[in-house]
Amino acid sequence: MTYEIFKHFPVLAIMCYFVGAFIVTLAGKRRMLRNVVAGAVMLISLSLLLSLVVPVMVDGQIITYWMGNWEPVEGYAIGIAIEVDALSLFFGLLVAIAVALAGFYSFRYITQDDANGPFFTLFLMLSGGVMGIVLSGDLFNIYVMLEVMTFAAVGLTAFRSWNPNAREAAFKYLVVGSIGSTCVLLGTALVYAQCHTLNLAQISAMLPGNMNPTMVFAFAMLFTGFGCKSFMFPFQPIAADAHGAAPSSVSVLISGVFTKTGVYGIIRVSYFLFRTMGLTSMQTLLVFIGCVSMFVCVTMALNQHDFKRLLAFHSISQIGYILTALGLCSALGIAGGLYHAINHTLFKGLLFLTAGAVLYATGTTYLEKLGGLARKMPQTAALFMVGAFSISGIPPFNGFASKWMIYQATYEKAAETGSIGYALVTVVCVVTSVLTLASFIKVGQSVFFGQLPLEYENVKETPLSMRIPMWIMAALCFLTGLFPDLMVEYLLGPATAAVLDTARYIDAAMGAGYAEIVANSTAYLAEPVLVFAGTWDPVSWLLLFVIVMCAVTLVSLAGRRSRGALTLADDAKHATFFGGEEAEFSHVASGDLFWGFKHNLRGYLNFMSRAHSGITNDYVVWGVCAMAVITVYCFIFM
Amino acid sequence: MMLANYIGAIALIVIGFYAMIVKHDIIKIVIGMGITDYGLNLLIVSIGFNEGGTAPIFTFGELTSGMYFVDPVPQALTLTSIVIGACVTAMALALCVRLYKEYGTLDSRRIRRLHG
Amino acid sequence: MEFLIKIVYILIFPGLLFSSVFGLWLAGIDRKVVARMQRRVGPPVLQPTYDFFKLLGKETIVPSCAARHTFLIAPYVGLISLVVTALFIPIGGLQAFGGMADMVVVLYLITIPSLAMIFGGSASASPFAGVGVSRSMVAIMAYELPLILVLLSIGRAAGGTYVTFSLERVTLYQQMFGSFLFDWRLIPAALAMLLVIPCEVGAHPFDVGEAETEICEGPLVEYSGAPLAVFKLSHAIKMFIMTALFCALFLGGISTGMLWLDVVIALALCSVVTLICMTLLHAITARLKVEQVFKFFWTVVSGLALVSLILVWFVD
Repeated sequence: MTYEIFKHFPVLAIMCYFVGAFIVTLAGKRRMLRNVVAGAVMLISLSLLLSLVVPVMVDGQIITYWMGNWEPVEGYAIGIAIEVDALSLFFGLLVAIAVALAGFYSFRYITQDDANGPFFTLFLMLSGGVMGIVLSGDLFNIYVMLEVMTFAAVGLTAFRSWNPNAREAAFKYLVVGSIGSTCVLLGTALVYAQCHTLNLAQISAMLPGNMNPTMVFAFAMLFTGFGCKSFMFPFQPIAADAHGAAPSSVSVLISGVFTKTGVYGIIRVSYFLFRTMGLTSMQTLLVFIGCVSMFVCVTMALNQHDFKRLLAFHSISQIGYILTALGLCSALGIAGGLYHAINHTLFKGLLFLTAGAVLYATGTTYLEKLGGLARKMPQTAALFMVGAFSISGIPPFNGFASKWMIYQATYEKAAETGSIGYALVTVVCVVTSVLTLASFIKVGQSVFFGQLPLEYENVKETPLSMRIPMWIMAALCFLTGLFPDLMVEYLLGPATAAVLDTARYIDAAMGAGYAEIVANSTAYLAEPVLVFAGTWDPVSWLLLFVIVMCAVTLVSLAGRRSRGALTLADDAKHATFFGGEEAEFSHVASGDLFWGFKHNLRGYLNFMSRAHSGITNDYVVWGVCAMAVITVYCFIFM
Repeated sequence: MMLANYIGAIALIVIGFYAMIVKHDIIKIVIGMGITDYGLNLLIVSIGFNEGGTAPIFTFGELTSGMYFVDPVPQALTLTSIVIGACVTAMALALCVRLYKEYGTLDSRRIRRLHG
Repeated sequence: MEFLIKIVYILIFPGLLFSSVFGLWLAGIDRKVVARMQRRVGPPVLQPTYDFFKLLGKETIVPSCAARHTFLIAPYVGLISLVVTALFIPIGGLQAFGGMADMVVVLYLITIPSLAMIFGGSASASPFAGVGVSRSMVAIMAYELPLILVLLSIGRAAGGTYVTFSLERVTLYQQMFGSFLFDWRLIPAALAMLLVIPCEVGAHPFDVGEAETEICEGPLVEYSGAPLAVFKLSHAIKMFIMTALFCALFLGGISTGMLWLDVVIALALCSVVTLICMTLLHAITARLKVEQVFKFFWTVVSGLALVSLILVWFVD
């Protein structure tokens, strides 16, 4: 079978978004036309990438496309390459799916906004930028796409003219985000100064083993820059602001897709370009950052009073899981991290969309004002519960499958290195997971259950066109959790192998044998074999669950005669609570919850709350400090 | 001679970050971002400089392997970077205008509705 | 034949029927012994069983402001997932469905019933339930940290030079090298686990979520009739599961060579563990405040478990 035809697909997938972005502008105020164009663009890109699954994931091809046919001459890459291996395609698919679902959701969702013409232009620019990053094989191209993406994201954050916080969030995002961009550009420039090429494959053939102080500095810069784009630990406040202020369907992209480009960048830089991941110091750094992000953000989330801001902090907390898993540099860790990446996109997307549905129906996401919506919006409540169970890792949903892999990976790493520190990492992961659960119980209790405030008596379920994308996401959350074996075989396995096997990537771009001639060290894990310390079989669990459920149903049907009646009356007798007192409005919600926990950790929680001061300069200080610390760390230990 | 360029570039970047950290006026923060950007541009152009090299403009006839010229790629990168920098500045200033209208101040210490 | 045995496993022996009967029996024993310790006569041992059937016959009232579906479905989801969990825990070397779920999965599976209760209570819209939900969740946060530390210690001890999460491996290791309860390195972990059990089950002195005298059983306040009966049954089954888990983790080495005898011994041990960690504690302590529970578990109990973890890692 020839793969010639597939060569053009990746670049088409990127260009579709950009071309679509401009055509949408032409559609002006004609909403139907605009929706058709945007929908078509998103579907075309998605199907282009899906058609690449067979050649790249199953047959293990690497697709290289040289823009303008500028192929490498005498071992020097001159043109800009689009190079798609299993890792790129993995992230590309994740992007395309999230973009399509969020896009279809937005058709209806943004009708509430006054200026919804430019929305899809920015939306598609953002998608195109992200897609460009993950499919590109050129360092400077990645930087440009990063800027396009950041730019569109800032525009979309400031988009809601009626949201009073939107401009403030966008400004902070732009300022602190510019630190990240500066770092990436500086790193790129330094790499160019040393290698005189911008092609990823060629750099990764020349760099590893040839580290000099300039390259250590370049590495630190690129690492910090992509870390900023993934909003890892000291950059988390801007993520919270931006996710909270943006329209929900954009939050899906910023949290589910935008942050993944940072993760992708970190993988490419540290596993690939510099191949520093084999160093113990580098693993420690990434795992440490991951753990801190995880724990700090989950405790911050417990403190929040706004649905979307809470979700935003969780987003970074989950990124912490991914970074921790990737920092382990074991096959199981990488697979678990990638698995969590796709799961995070799905469940966090779902949760943001439910938050959007609540906002659409009630006009607020403030936890203290809401309550009892499950009676008015039963489907949204069910969808929220699917998302909440997924993110807090309740079996058999997808969050559990990936977290379970991460727990094993961290503990196996502890056994391999003999260091108890990694055992504590496992503990931090589990504790974070239960705190996540707690904060989603808080949301459930505050928004969907409890008593319904009077002003929401007339709230209606969201329209069907918004519910369908949510149901698709929920189904995906369930399915990806139910078949971890298939996921490992078809998606995660090839992607993990691609992370570790640099030589094939280099050869695919520069011609066979190039890696051997130039590269000093090619592979640092001989065979990516997944070693599981335990077992988990979700399908059997589900089967057993169904069998027991049938048995219980049969028993209860058989004993129907002797069972008491079920009263669902809506009269005065049933309006009262247990004690028989008047059912006056007394909703236990948000800030009232988990007092015992907050009381014990009040010192820490108050400190963190004060530290997120909201002043732009403070966040810049954090960012610059992170940059300095990482640089110093790299110089000492590399 | 190039050393001066590098020192200048680093100095500009540091001054930019200093402005972003210390100045509470958001316009000054934007200026800081701009200065950082200029520093970077200077750095990139300097990387491509070759002492005594000619301009990299040739027709195919005169191009031989021994030619000594200034590396054109960083110049292209710089151009792109300048364009991006200008856009970022424009966007940031537009946001500043809106922030001033909404908050009535340009002091970053008072633009902090989103905190905690 | 194979299939029939599986069905028997699911429905009769460690599954639905047996776990219900044994759980209710454990609950009865618990009540009886507490009463005797407090110099009361106490109810008959079968009292929880009678209560269960009596509740089934009562009218089920759903408050009109409740989220009805969640309110009515939650108890059943909790019960079913508990019964399924029972199938994964080895009882005296007999594991009905081996190789499907390891320790960490069980750790997560046993939170599902608690979650079911939390969501059920939450759906009832009662302010009492709201307070109960908040407290139950704090209790879950409290015991999860020591529990994972205990599991990790066991996983390291049973893994030999490596680590394992598999419950079969843990049982096998104990059958070869003796029960972990008699391994001095793991004694602090066993103590921690004994304290985790009442908190997970929601028994004195850690029953902050269901404090009858303060918040009228918290999440269960609005429940009546069959759903309440199911919650009571779940509570009883949880006692069985948690004690069985303790026996599997710390007393798995008792082997006479005859499977049925092993199982009987394991069940007897379950009862003993129940008596020690629930009945005894219940009789001699008063309920703690919610912040005290949290503090106790994150300092004392976690400290005990951490000592074990460190010993297991550094002492051979």
